[in-house]
Parts: sequence; structure tokens; C-alpha cells
Amino acid sequence: MKSLPEDAADVSLIQPRRGSGLIRNIAKRYDLYLMLLLPIAWYLIFHYGPLYGLQIAFKNFNPAKGIMGSPWEGFGHFVRFFDSYYFWRLLWNTVSINLFSLLIAFPIPIMLALLVNEIRSKTYSKWLQNITYIPHFISVVVIVGILNVFLSPTGPINMLIEAFGGSSVRFLESAGWFKTIFIGSNIWQNMGWQSIIYIAALSGVNPQLYEAAKMDGASRLRRIWHVSLPGIAPVIVILLILDIGHFMNVGFEKILLMQNNLNLESSDVISTFVYTTGILKGEYSYTAAIGLFNSVINLILLLLVNRFARKTSETSLW
Amino acid sequence: MRRHWGRSALATLIIAGLILAGCSNGGDSKKENNSPPPSTESAVKAEGFPIVDQPIKLKMFTRIAPANGPFKEMPVFQDYEKLSNIQVEFTEAPTDGFAEKKNLLFASNELPDALFRSELNPLETIRYGTAGQLIPLEDLIEEYAPNLKALMEQYPEIRSAITTPEGHIYSIPGIVTTGSARTDKRWINKAWLEKLNLKEPTTTEELYNVLVAFRDGDPNGNGVADEIPMTARNAAAGIIIVNMMAGSFGLDLQLGYNINIEDGKVNIWSGDEKHKELLMYLNRLYKEKLLDQEIFSHTEAQYLAKQGSGNAGLFFDQTNNNFLPIMDQYVGIAPPAGPNGDQMQSAVAPVPRDFGAFAITSVNKHPEATMRWIDYFYSDEGSTLLRFGREGEHYEMRDGVPYYFDDFIAVTGAQGKMTPYAGGGAPHLISDQVASFINPPQVQEAFKKLEPYMPEIRYANPMFDEETAQKVNILRNDIDKYVNEQSTKFIVGALSFDKWEEFQSTLNKMKIDELEGIYQAAYDKMAK
Repeated sequence: MKSLPEDAADVSLIQPRRGSGLIRNIAKRYDLYLMLLLPIAWYLIFHYGPLYGLQIAFKNFNPAKGIMGSPWEGFGHFVRFFDSYYFWRLLWNTVSINLFSLLIAFPIPIMLALLVNEIRSKTYSKWLQNITYIPHFISVVVIVGILNVFLSPTGPINMLIEAFGGSSVRFLESAGWFKTIFIGSNIWQNMGWQSIIYIAALSGVNPQLYEAAKMDGASRLRRIWHVSLPGIAPVIVILLILDIGHFMNVGFEKILLMQNNLNLESSDVISTFVYTTGILKGEYSYTAAIGLFNSVINLILLLLVNRFARKTSETSLW
Repeated sequence: MRRHWGRSALATLIIAGLILAGCSNGGDSKKENNSPPPSTESAVKAEGFPIVDQPIKLKMFTRIAPANGPFKEMPVFQDYEKLSNIQVEFTEAPTDGFAEKKNLLFASNELPDALFRSELNPLETIRYGTAGQLIPLEDLIEEYAPNLKALMEQYPEIRSAITTPEGHIYSIPGIVTTGSARTDKRWINKAWLEKLNLKEPTTTEELYNVLVAFRDGDPNGNGVADEIPMTARNAAAGIIIVNMMAGSFGLDLQLGYNINIEDGKVNIWSGDEKHKELLMYLNRLYKEKLLDQEIFSHTEAQYLAKQGSGNAGLFFDQTNNNFLPIMDQYVGIAPPAGPNGDQMQSAVAPVPRDFGAFAITSVNKHPEATMRWIDYFYSDEGSTLLRFGREGEHYEMRDGVPYYFDDFIAVTGAQGKMTPYAGGGAPHLISDQVASFINPPQVQEAFKKLEPYMPEIRYANPMFDEETAQKVNILRNDIDKYVNEQSTKFIVGALSFDKWEEFQSTLNKMKIDELEGIYQAAYDKMAK
């Protein structure tokens, strides 16, 4: 590590004007590049290095023989997954939970941010922000515990329903309610937290634009539509792309905690399947194959959306 | 707040793999050194204590149940260390997440010397045994485990349950010779029966009527219909209430699966008409609120609380330990006869009840001493130490049988903290000699009513070779999940019985015949 700055300094001394621009640049700002070393090392060691282990998806991993020594299996694990009776159900649940999340849960923090931004009273808007983002800090286990208490057949929600003459609903043990509860509680928990970044972006919108719009007689809604939203559009697009980047990953712990035989129909997703068949039963190769499949879909989606965004809105990750 | 779970899991796996690849060369060479047993082991005595003259240390991986205290504070391990000269250092993993930790241990190849109370399933045993991570024990048992050997001679089904087709034994089970400890009793609320002037039900229809009376007759006399007529455990694998009622519908549970053996023919009954009848009966009970409405969601703690509350009419448990203060309120009954006159107690565990309870790994430098160490617990003396602790401190002998002191047992939780058997699955012998606590007179009486209806011989899960075991695993992954999920739905009425044919045809699509064939072949081998 230490030798590098000296080397770099040498280069700049001996060949001050030759070499590519990059080398000169490095020599000149070697301190900045030094700082970059650590993150690069982090990525190499923890993100690129492990890619070598991906080969177990195509092998029959045997811990005693190690990754290199395990016998090749080819695409057997993928075929087994695609042939599995539950494949389509897993895929549909994973995709649909994310799709609904994206459609419903994605716009809500934006609306909340716009709402907070429009509130005149500073104290009141701070209050609102605090109250909405506090649930973010509750652990998943506690959230599911709260859901169990509130939605149980003898819980407050069902007591309310019965008080109004309805009959109690078994929320937690029905496939029909699962996605609603899962996504709904996610929104409740995270909308405040996710709105922070939009609120920050909104504060960066030039106030002169609002004044000008006001002068032209734009109503509040018009101002939101023509000033606020375009102002934060790049942020929205970037966050959307990032969200889609892990489209196939759902809140694994929460789903696992909420799962039971009666809602499995709609709560069985790829990540819980990986856990129950792979980690619990020690089938690492099979699990790695499913994980790889998942990641490949994520990557494809990310590339597609990024390309689409670049074409239509000129904002994209790269 | 989406977690990159899949990716990080993968990364963890892969990192584990990296580390492991680094170690694997070392591991291989070690194994080579190991294959001829080290001759330095001459210090191990074939019998008598101490087992070794020079103290040795062993590292063991174990499961710690919620009821247990730290293993190093248990009298059994403290006293046995002095007796045997073998010091055991336990790594304790809680029951929750135990399977995960155990498998990661093997995947990372960072093995302890032995696994104690490890709940290895047959597939894991074969997989890790074939891979060389677990060592074959059959020769060690022959020479260094006189107690275990004697048991295996007395109960031949033990050997067939733990020996692989190649003739190796990679793990040893917890052995239960006390019949009563192999099955759950049917505890019915005698106080309620008397109050409502009812007789013990002897058929499923009578049972239905009794449960209706429990529901409507307000037997607890508080004026509110809050009685739970019938309840059962909610287990992660399988549906306990189905297993408990299966015998009344002519369904047995052989070979550790939904299997009837008739004239040497193996029949997986998941798609049979009898299974449908059973589910329809349970559906009727559930619909009319005769079956606990929380039966598929309550936790173990909630279920035990229901036992202790005295507010349940009929439930299932091996002992009366969970409702000791109100034990007089309950009495055991025989299995009810079903619509076709079937009357069996099917949910009966085999003599080698807790499969894969103990195993020795390839890194163990003292396999002989380890085998002698564990073998002690397969004697009445060792089992008494394990289950009852110290004489004079925790228990006393009455008529040659150990009993806990009353004031020791009266302290809530003290017994579970003291012995590693609380929480189940410990590798040891449960014989009548050490069963005074789990098998007091009341439980014995309850068992006597069940005994005539128990199967003559209970075949355990068969051992397959690695390839077959993997095939069974793949088939059962889908089939078991499907059967459990659909059965649950049939019972609660989320799925109508019109769909039964679809259920059957899906089972066929999942190749249930192939599975049946594999079990048939295994049974044929076993019966020979």
C-alpha cells in the first residue's frame, strides 16, 4: 500500500508530460485516489471475489471436497427448479407482490413529501414528519407481532367489525388478505422514511419558480403539478430504477414470519422457498442456482428500465 | 426497506466457500492421517471408569431448548467429567434456527468433535457420512459401546433404522424402550364428562357428540361459551391432529411417513378415500367450532397454556407434566373406533425414536473415547444421571427407581434447567427404570388404554443410499408441502371436497407412485 504514492510520485517526476491523461491525473491527485483504494478493495474482496463461488450453482456442492473439487452438475439445479410444481406460484407471488408494491407503495412517499412541503406551519410539518417516520425503526418481528395482535379473530379490528354487525375475518389465515396486509403494513412502516429524500429534493426547488407561478395565477395543485413534481422528477426516476434493481427480492423475514399453511397460496415467494429448502435442508447448490436465477432477472430488469428511462426522461443511472 | 437477502445470502455462502476452499486441502490430508485410527489411543479403556487416564477435551455442538440452562452447569456433565476424565465443551445453538446453524457448520467444514442432540435427518446423515465429514460408527459400537450394542441386539429394528445400504452407521439415535414415551395420550376432561353426565367416547360419532356437549353445555360453569372442546399441537412439519385421528380411519404411519403396510405391500395413503373421510370428519369438527379455531396458528407456549388452563376438553400429549396442578381433572382414553370400525393408535414413534441424536465427525482425534463417553447414557445408570441429576440433591431412590424430590420439582423451570433431556432429542436411553417422572401412575393408566391399539412393530424412517435419498428428498419436498397445505385447507373449509379428485391427480403428477416404489424397495430390504 505504502509504495504506491511513491511510485506515483516517481512517474510524475520522470515523465511529467507524457503518458495518458489518467496517469497524470492520478499522479496529481494521488491522495484522492488513495482514498478510493479502500472502496475498490471492498468491492473486489466482497463483491467480485465471491463471484467465483457462483460455480456451485452448476455443481453438486460437497463441503468436504470444497468449491473447486465438487463434481459438475450442469444446469440440473435450474431444471429442477423450473420443473418444480411450485415454480409458477413462486414466480407469480414474487412478481405480483413487487408489482403491487411498486404501483401502490412507490407513489405514496412522494405524495406525503408534497403534502409536508405544502404545510405552512413549520412545527406542524415537523410533527407530521416525525410521526410518519418513527415506525421505520420498529423491528420486523415486532411489526408482525403487532399485526398478529391487531388482526387476530379476537383483536381490536375484528371487534370493531363485529360491533358494526359484521362477522370476524381471519385476516392472517387467508390467502386473499395476505398481500394487502403485507403491502399495507409496509407502507405504514416506511412511507415517512422514504419521503425524507423527496422532502430534501423539494427544498432544493428554486422558490422563484413558485413565485412566478403564483404571479401567473397558478393554483396550489397547478404549482405542485408544474413546479414541484418536475423539480423532483430526476430523484423519482433514480429511486424507481434503484427499486426495480431489486425487484425480485421481497422482505424475506417479514414474509417468513407471516407465513402459514393457509396463506401459503399467496405468501410463498422465491426467497422463503430458498430458505426452507436450501438453508434449512443444506441444499446449497440448488439454492445458489435459484439465487442466481433471481439475480439475473434483477439485472435484466435494471438494464431495461434504465434504458427506458434514459430514452424518455433523460435521467438514468448511467 | 427491501433487504438484498438473496444476494447477501449468496455472498455469505460464497465467502464461506472461499474460506472453505482454502481449508479443504488441509482437511483432506488430515483425513488421510485419520483413516488408520491413531495408535496413541491405547489409553482408552474398554470398560470401567475413568475412560481415559490422561484427561482429554472434546468440543461438541448441541441444541439448547428454551427450557434448558447452560450445559456446563448441568450436574450430569459436571459429574460425568470427573467420572470419565473427558472434558466436554459445548457450543449451544438454540432450538430456533438450529437446523440452519447445523447445516452451515457442515457447509463451512468447521466441525466440532461430535454432535450431541443433533437431530440429523437420514438425508443429512448419509450426505455428510458419504462426504467423509461424519465417521462410520459400526466398528466403534462393536468394541466400545456395550450398552448400545446390547440394546441393538434386543431391538433389531434399531439397527435397520440407522444402517445405510452400504452397512455404515453414521449417527446414533435416542432410544425409547418405554412404550408410553413413544406416543401421545388422549387426555379428556373427566370433570366435564361427569358434570354433563357423559361417558368416555368410544367411537368417532360419540366423540362428536361429547364435543358438542362440551361446546354447548357450559361445563366450566362461567356462563360463557369459551370452552375449547378439542385442541392439538401446531407443528411445523405435518399436521398433528391428522396423525392423532388417523388410526380411527384405518390409516397407519409406518416408515416415518403416511404409509400403511398390508401383506408386505407399502401404500402411501395421502390420496386415498380413507384420508378424505378423515379430513371430512375434521372439517366437520372445525366448521362447528368443536376443533380449536387456532389449531393451525397457536404457538407451542399457547398450546401448553391451554393444557394448563383446564379449559380444554380433549388434547394430546405424552405426559401430564404440563398440567400437573389440575391433573386429576383429566383421564386418558382409548382411540375412538371410526365409521368402518378401525381403531388404531397410529401416531407411535419407533424404538429408535430420536434419529440422528449423536454423531462423531472426522476431526475427532479420540473417536473411541467419544463412543465410550456417549455409550454410558445408554445404560440405566447413565440415563439416571442425565435425567435425574444427583442423588440426594435432585432425586431419591424409591423401590430401586429414581424419583425427583417434590420440592425440587415444585420450582418452576428447575427441572428443565437441570437436565438436557427436557426439550427432547437427547441421545440416551429412556427405559421404564428412568421414567418415573414422564410415566407416573396416571400416565401409565392412560397408556394402558392405548397399548392394545398400538402397531405390533413400528418401522422407522428407512435409510436410503445417497442418490435415492436425494430423489426421495426432491419428491417429498413438493408432495409433503402440497399435502400439508391442501389438508389444512380441507380441514378449515378453505377448499371444498369437490376438489378431491384434483388433489389426487396432482399427487399423481408429483409422482407419488415413484415415491411409493422407493419405499416398497426399502421395506423389502428391511423385511428380509
